[in-house]
Amino acid sequence: MAASSGNSSSCWDSPEVYKHHEQRKVCISRPKYREGRNDRAVKVYTINLESRYLMVQGVPAIGVMPELIQRCALYGAVEEYRPLDEYPAEEFTEVYLVKFQKLTSARAAKRHMDEKSFYGGLLHVCYVPEYESVEDIRFKLQDRRRYITRAAQNRVREKEQKEAEKEEPTTSRTATTSEKIIPRHDQRPNNDNTGENTKFSHYSGFQLLPLPPQESHYYGHQNQHWTGQTEDKMGTLHNAIIDTRQQPAHGLSSSQTSSDRERDTERRLTPKQAPAVRFVPRTTNLENRKRKIQEAAKPNTD
Amino acid sequence: MRRSDSRSDSTGGAERFEYLQTLVTEFQDTDSGEAKEQVLANLANFAYDPKNMESLRELQVTDLFLDMLTEENQNLVEFGMGGLCNLSMEPQCRDLILQSSGISLVTDCLSSQREETVLSAITTLMNLTTPQSRSDITAPAIVQCMLRFSLSENPRLRSLAAVFLQDCCSREQVARAELQMQGQQTAVGIPLPKDS
Repeated sequence: MAASSGNSSSCWDSPEVYKHHEQRKVCISRPKYREGRNDRAVKVYTINLESRYLMVQGVPAIGVMPELIQRCALYGAVEEYRPLDEYPAEEFTEVYLVKFQKLTSARAAKRHMDEKSFYGGLLHVCYVPEYESVEDIRFKLQDRRRYITRAAQNRVREKEQKEAEKEEPTTSRTATTSEKIIPRHDQRPNNDNTGENTKFSHYSGFQLLPLPPQESHYYGHQNQHWTGQTEDKMGTLHNAIIDTRQQPAHGLSSSQTSSDRERDTERRLTPKQAPAVRFVPRTTNLENRKRKIQEAAKPNTD
Repeated sequence: MRRSDSRSDSTGGAERFEYLQTLVTEFQDTDSGEAKEQVLANLANFAYDPKNMESLRELQVTDLFLDMLTEENQNLVEFGMGGLCNLSMEPQCRDLILQSSGISLVTDCLSSQREETVLSAITTLMNLTTPQSRSDITAPAIVQCMLRFSLSENPRLRSLAAVFLQDCCSREQVARAELQMQGQQTAVGIPLPKDS
């Protein structure tokens, strides 16, 4: 079952010029309705391929490294950069490795600089995730999961707001109340493995019934099997409840920009709640209102 | 199902949903292998943006991606696996994948000859790890596989496998896998007895 590195195919043996550096041929057979703004090759981007390390090829060898880095810095802070002398380059051009502070900056830089002219040359910009350390990768994945989970929460909250506004145009106070409630829920103690209320505090958008007993049971297992180190790591990834770091509640308003999300250090999110969440039919508005009133009345249990 | 929610999305959710639906329909209807690959890649890339995840869920694209994992065409496998890697970051998609026997399908992709397929599979397994699924995800065969990957010449494979071992597995599991690997290696040099 495992891919043994012994009888590996050519993709494992290739030297530093990796397949993902190559510019693929642009797809010409795409029907109009699927055409993008620019011609693109057929390629799938995952978090593995993206990296805050970029390689820039095709830089004219006329001593424009400072200008190149300045251009890169338009998209975000550059941590490090160096020429990649060992990398095969076309005549009269140079290749550079540029490390951005943030993945989002690298993404923007790639989008805006790839296939663009620069001092008479044509730049080819690609991600070079092979330069990432284990720590880089771990952080990248964790950060991505946090962002996705937060985006999902925001969407839920937005939807809940919209539904509340749509069906009850006179009670705009309800929507505001729910905004205020949510940050307070963030302050709930995270050692509470049994409280079903805790689990659902962040999902006040979901009109859910309390879980059956076995659901809360599995949260209890969280602490029992793993060593301290893996617990913390999996804790921040998957279970905000066992994360022992108390964090101040910040208003997770839906207007938060993606760069704000990226900048956040490990926040207590509640991806842990997600496995328990199911798609259930909407409850009536009466129940919705009742629950909101109940939550508003609950004391802050820090 | 809950299309009304997408429709009222302020970010053009309705058009977005309908466009994605058109893609899925084209994928299902077309005979052209090339078109299938293009559309699948599009869907997998759309799956990268959290704005699309709910629509893709409703369109059952998680199942579509899972179906691709057993295709002959390695591009379809690679793109499908990439789509799953993207979607599985989101808890609800993750659960759908788990419910559809995602672990075993994704695990099979660990033996692909395609680098991106394997990398997507490793990341997806990490994304699929929950307290309930953890014992399946860290089955001895998988841990051993990751251990072998962590010794690979390929830097991306090496590092990603290391993250899996450090973050998903207990020290005992890794130690056990190391012992098993050593056992296998020493056995290789020993000729088997003739009568066994």
